[in-house]
Amino acid sequence: MSLQIIINGIATGSIYALIATGFALIFNVLKFSNFSHGATMTAAAFVAYFLVAVKGMGLVPTLLVAAFSGGLIALFGELVGFRRITLNHSSSTYFFVSSITLGTLYEGLVTVKAGANFFSFPQFFTNPTIRAGGLVISTSDAAMFLISLVVLIVLAFVIQKTRLGRALRAASFDRDTAQLMGIDSTRIIQITFVISGMLAGIAGTFLGIKYTLYPTLGSLVVKGFIASVIGGLGSLPGAIIGAVLLGLLETLFLVLFGSGYSTIATFGMMLLFLLIRPQGIAGSNIQEKA
Amino acid sequence: MSALWTNILTQICITLIAVAGVYVLTGLTGMFSLGQAAFMAVGAYVSGILVVKFHWSLWPAILVSVLLAVLLGFIIGFPVVRLRRDYISLVTLGFGESIAALLNRMTKLTGGASGFIGIPRKTTFLLAVLSAVIAIVLVAFFKRSKYGRQCVALRGDELAAKAMGINVTRIKMIAFLLSVALTSYAGALYAFYMSYVEPGSFGWKKSADWVIMVFFGGVNSLTGSTLGAFILTALPQLPFMRALQSYRYVVYAVLVLLIINFKPSGLLGEWELTDLFRKKNKKRAADSEEVQ
Repeated sequence: MSLQIIINGIATGSIYALIATGFALIFNVLKFSNFSHGATMTAAAFVAYFLVAVKGMGLVPTLLVAAFSGGLIALFGELVGFRRITLNHSSSTYFFVSSITLGTLYEGLVTVKAGANFFSFPQFFTNPTIRAGGLVISTSDAAMFLISLVVLIVLAFVIQKTRLGRALRAASFDRDTAQLMGIDSTRIIQITFVISGMLAGIAGTFLGIKYTLYPTLGSLVVKGFIASVIGGLGSLPGAIIGAVLLGLLETLFLVLFGSGYSTIATFGMMLLFLLIRPQGIAGSNIQEKA
Repeated sequence: MSALWTNILTQICITLIAVAGVYVLTGLTGMFSLGQAAFMAVGAYVSGILVVKFHWSLWPAILVSVLLAVLLGFIIGFPVVRLRRDYISLVTLGFGESIAALLNRMTKLTGGASGFIGIPRKTTFLLAVLSAVIAIVLVAFFKRSKYGRQCVALRGDELAAKAMGINVTRIKMIAFLLSVALTSYAGALYAFYMSYVEPGSFGWKKSADWVIMVFFGGVNSLTGSTLGAFILTALPQLPFMRALQSYRYVVYAVLVLLIINFKPSGLLGEWELTDLFRKKNKKRAADSEEVQ
């Protein structure tokens, strides 16, 4: 594996890591796979594109607006899609349907507003590439990697070291007991959705910068899902490791097989992985619990 | 009957076959496949290619395409039926994306993103109606068979079902493969009706659409799911609804959100058409409603 492949792979993997952690956060607390995550990414990225990026403001304001709107969208989703079924302790199938429906709703709204067109973010950097020795690194890749790193470190700090993070971990371990211990679990769920939505907004913008922006961009969320499965469903460190691994593999396959077939190769890898080590790298609960 | 109505009804019947498959998977067993439309694509493309490029006749081509879809379903189902039900959704979603990538890539065989054209139009109105009726009756029998009851048991509680001696892994696989077979057959009919298929029409949105139809009508009722599919497929086809075409998904989503929040069992709940003819069942259905 050449150094160039490793660098490109890690850059791609860092975006996947943002997607996968946002997905894993919700899985942790509510124990369901949030299929509206992809459409949240697209919607937030579109909001940021129309409000900020087209006006020629830089990368940082765009990301801030994307994160903010992603958080708002996720908060709205929690309210209309998940609040009642959480309080009723409904079966997990309803969470599935709600998340699929919300995904359809967001994607539909974006399509109505933007049509099936492609939008490119303006060039944020004056030098599109950095050359170091024989290596060529795109500036936006480097920036995305650094920003993802910072975001993930902040997230790890919040979850491991703050009161909020402790409450979040308690609620994801056992929501009802946490509630009895005086943790407002509805509030914790809201906050989790906001954090996950913010991650989605940033990830969506990055994907938009990398591949241009279009209404079905959210289907790239599947990369985050695959990363989650490889890492272990619901595990945050696992999601990050899985994402970087996936980024590397995908870049390698891209060189070996070309686009299209690389998607199938990574999918095959995931199936193989599930066969050998279904609990993922970090190991998580894989059986249906009573 | 006018040509417009024949056209609408044929399309509805094809959708009904796919939705009957989704009902087995989601309604009976509580599993979600977000790549279900990809199996429709397999049915459509394989049978279409066999007929157009290899000059097979219709029925062997359909049979082979369904068998191939079932084989693919077995391969991707094998690792995941033992695991939490989340995995089957995630893996099928990945499968859907892979199939789309493959169809876009193999341009020589599939025509790539611009679609595969020139499939002979062999699906008649009668064939579509007959197929839909057979599919629904088949699923109705499946629901009342030993397998169907085991599906319902494991949907409620996998651990308890296991403790009662149900082979959960096997039943999940059977339900998945049955739904794959039905969906891929619908795909073949679709290809020979539209005479043109493109990868874009088999995305996760279509799979999500079917799940929404099942939940709209009533996730525990085959009658409800069929009705849901009928209404939601017919609505956007009606002339006066065409203007709202671009809002279609938004309207669907709002409807389903309302149902999930305020009547989670769907339009018909547990009610089945056959309940009209049995009093005992009616009482049982009412009882189980109370328990919920």
